[in-house]
Amino acid sequence: MIHLKNLDKQYKNGDQTLHVLNDIHLKIEENEFVAIMGPSGSGKSTLMNMIGCLDQPTSGEYLLHGTDVASQPEKELAKVRNAQIGFVFQQFHLLPKLSAMMNVELPLIYGGIKKKERKERARLALEKVGLEDRVNHLPNQLSGGQKQRVAIARALINEPSLILADEPTGALDSKSGTQIMELFTQLHHEGATLIMVTHEQEVADYARRIVTVRDGEIIKDRGHENVVPR
Amino acid sequence: MSFLDSVKMALRSLWSHRLRSMLTMLGIIIGVGSVITVVAIGKGGEAVLTSQFAGGGNNTFEVYYMPPDEELMDYDAYDDVAYTTEDLRAIQEMPSVNQVIAYAYNSTNVVYHQEAAGAQILAINENYYDLNEFTASSGRLLDNRDVDNGRRVVTLSTGVVEELFAANDEAVGQIVNIEGVPFEVIGVHERENQSFFAFQVDEVLLPQSSWPMLYGTDNMDMLNVQANSADDIEIASHAVTNYLNDQSTLSGEYQVLNMEEIEQGISQVTNVTTMIIGGVAGISLLVGGIGVMNIMLVSVTERTREIGLRKSLGATRGNILLQFLIESVTLTTIGGLIGIMLGAGVANTVSLIAGWPFLVSIPVVLLGVGFSMFVGIVFGLLPANKAAKLDPIEALRHE
Ligand SMILES: Nc1ncnc2c1ncn2[C@@H]1O[C@H](COP(=O)(O)OP(=O)(O)OP(=O)(O)O)[C@@H](O)[C@H]1O
Ligand SMILES: [Mg+2]
Repeated sequence: MIHLKNLDKQYKNGDQTLHVLNDIHLKIEENEFVAIMGPSGSGKSTLMNMIGCLDQPTSGEYLLHGTDVASQPEKELAKVRNAQIGFVFQQFHLLPKLSAMMNVELPLIYGGIKKKERKERARLALEKVGLEDRVNHLPNQLSGGQKQRVAIARALINEPSLILADEPTGALDSKSGTQIMELFTQLHHEGATLIMVTHEQEVADYARRIVTVRDGEIIKDRGHENVVPR
Repeated sequence: MSFLDSVKMALRSLWSHRLRSMLTMLGIIIGVGSVITVVAIGKGGEAVLTSQFAGGGNNTFEVYYMPPDEELMDYDAYDDVAYTTEDLRAIQEMPSVNQVIAYAYNSTNVVYHQEAAGAQILAINENYYDLNEFTASSGRLLDNRDVDNGRRVVTLSTGVVEELFAANDEAVGQIVNIEGVPFEVIGVHERENQSFFAFQVDEVLLPQSSWPMLYGTDNMDMLNVQANSADDIEIASHAVTNYLNDQSTLSGEYQVLNMEEIEQGISQVTNVTTMIIGGVAGISLLVGGIGVMNIMLVSVTERTREIGLRKSLGATRGNILLQFLIESVTLTTIGGLIGIMLGAGVANTVSLIAGWPFLVSIPVVLLGVGFSMFVGIVFGLLPANKAAKLDPIEALRHE
C-alpha cells in the first residue's frame, strides 16, 4: 500500500543544508499497525507528513496504492487526503467555534457530501468513539481525551484506507491515552491501516510493528513481515 | 464542496466575530450610505429646480420682456410692457396653445380700519391656479364666477391676515381697502408645494375683472402660456414671441425661457456636484475596502492553523481561496446593504424636510450593491490568496 523508495528530505537554511530524512526505504502493507519511534528531531513527523501527502520529498519516490504521489497535482493530493487518509494530531486541531458534530463533518463538506448524509455519518462516527452524548458540545466543553476522540471520529468519517496519528496520546493522561489506544486497536481489527508516531514504549506496544528512526534514517524495523491477516 | 456550504461557512465565521465584522463593515456602510444619500439628494434637488424653472412639467412657459442692453438696468424700460386683452385673445386662439395664464400685479397697502399691510396685489383669473396650487385655510378661494361677475372680493395670504387681524378666522367677511376701493375678504389662501427655500410672500389675490377699478387698465403684466403638449412648447413659444414682437413698439424683445437649456444647465450643475461629492464618498469606500483587506489579513494570520487543518482534511487551494473571498464579499455586501438602507433613510428624511421627491433609484441601489461586492472581491483577493497559498505543514505548526 505504501512504498517509500530512496526518500530524501532536506531543508536549506542559508548555505546550510539540513538532512531531515536520508535514504528512507519503507514498505507498509494494508491493515498493518505501525508505530514510529525515535528521539526528538529525528524526522518522524516529517516522515508522517510525507506519507500523508502534506509534504513532498526532495528526492526519491513515494507510491501510494501504486501511484507516484510526486507527480500528482495539488488538487489531486487534496482529494487523496480527503478520501484516503485520516489524520490525528497531538494537539487535536479542532476548530474551536464549531461543535463536535460540525468538526467531524468537515471532511465530508470537502468531499461534497449532502448535509443530511453528513449529519447521519457524523453522528455514527461520534457514536463509534463513544461520544454520542457530546454531539453539540464545543471543543472547550470537552476533556482532552474526548477532544482526541472527536478528532479520531473526524479521521474516520470518510472511511479512509490509512490513519496517520502523530503522537495521538502525547497531550493526554495515561487513562485517556489507554482509551485512545484501545480505540486504535479496535480500528485495526476492523481492517484499518494505522501508522502512529509515539515516544512511549507502552503506546508503541499496541502496534504490531515498530519502526525506529534516528537522524533521518530507519535504524530498526521490529516486527516487519508480521502482517496480521484480515 | 458546494457553493452554498462555502457561504454558510463564511457566514458562521463572520458571525463568530460579530463585533469585528460590524466594525469592519463600518467603512463600507459609510461609503455606500453617503453615495446613496448624495445621489438621491442631488436628484431630488434637480427635480425641484427643474420643476420650478420649467413650469412643473405641465407644459407651461413664461414670456418675458428683454430690454436692449443699454436699457437693461433701467427700471422704466419695463413700464410699458403690457399684454392687452386683444393680445391675450390672439394668443389663446393659436392652435398650439391650450390656455393663457396672465396676471397683473402691483405692490401697495391693504388697509383694515387703522391697520395697513404692504402686499403684492395679484389680479388673476381661475387659470392662475394651474401655475400654482392653492388651498384655502379658511373661507374659500376665488373662482370663475368672482372673475366673470367682477365681484369686489379678495383672498389674503396668511402673512397679510396676521398683520391686519387678531385671528385667522376673523378675516373672512371683513372689508379691506385697496387703493381706496373696498373689497370683501372671502378667504385665506396658502400656496401649495412651496419648496423649502421659497419665500413666503405677503400677497392678495383679487379677480382680474376688478383690476381696472384700481388702476384704470385691463392690461396684464405677466404672461404664461400653456402649450397643448410637451411637443407643442417649442412651436407655441415661437408663435407667441413672434406675435408679440410684431405688435411691439418697444425697443426690446419678448422672449421665452428655453426650458431645455435650463434643464441641461441644472442637470450639469447637479451632475458636477454629485460627481465631486460622489468621488469623496468613493474614496471613503476605498478606505473601507482597505479596512476590509486589513482585517482579512489579520484573520488569515489568526486562522493559520485552521487553514492548515482544513488542507489536511482535503480542502484544495480553491476551497480556501473561495472561503476567504466569500467572507470578504459577504462583509462588504452586507455593509453595502446596510449603507443603502441608511442612505435611503437619510435621503428620505432630507426630502421630507425639504419637500422634494424621494429619489433613490433602483439603478443606484444596484450599483451600490454591485460596487460593494466588487470592493469585497478586489480587497479580499490578496488575503484569500495568501491563505490559499499557505503550506499545510507550516500552517499546522503555526503557534
Ligand atoms: N520547515 C523546516 N525548516 C527547517 N527545518 C525543519 C523544518 N521542519 C522540520 N525541520 C527540522 O527537521 C527535523 C525533524 O523534524 P520533525 O518534526 O520531523 O522531528 P520529530 O522526529 O517529529 O521530533 P519530535 O519527536 O520532537 O516531534 C528537526 O531537526 C527540525 O528542526
Ligand atoms: Mg514530531
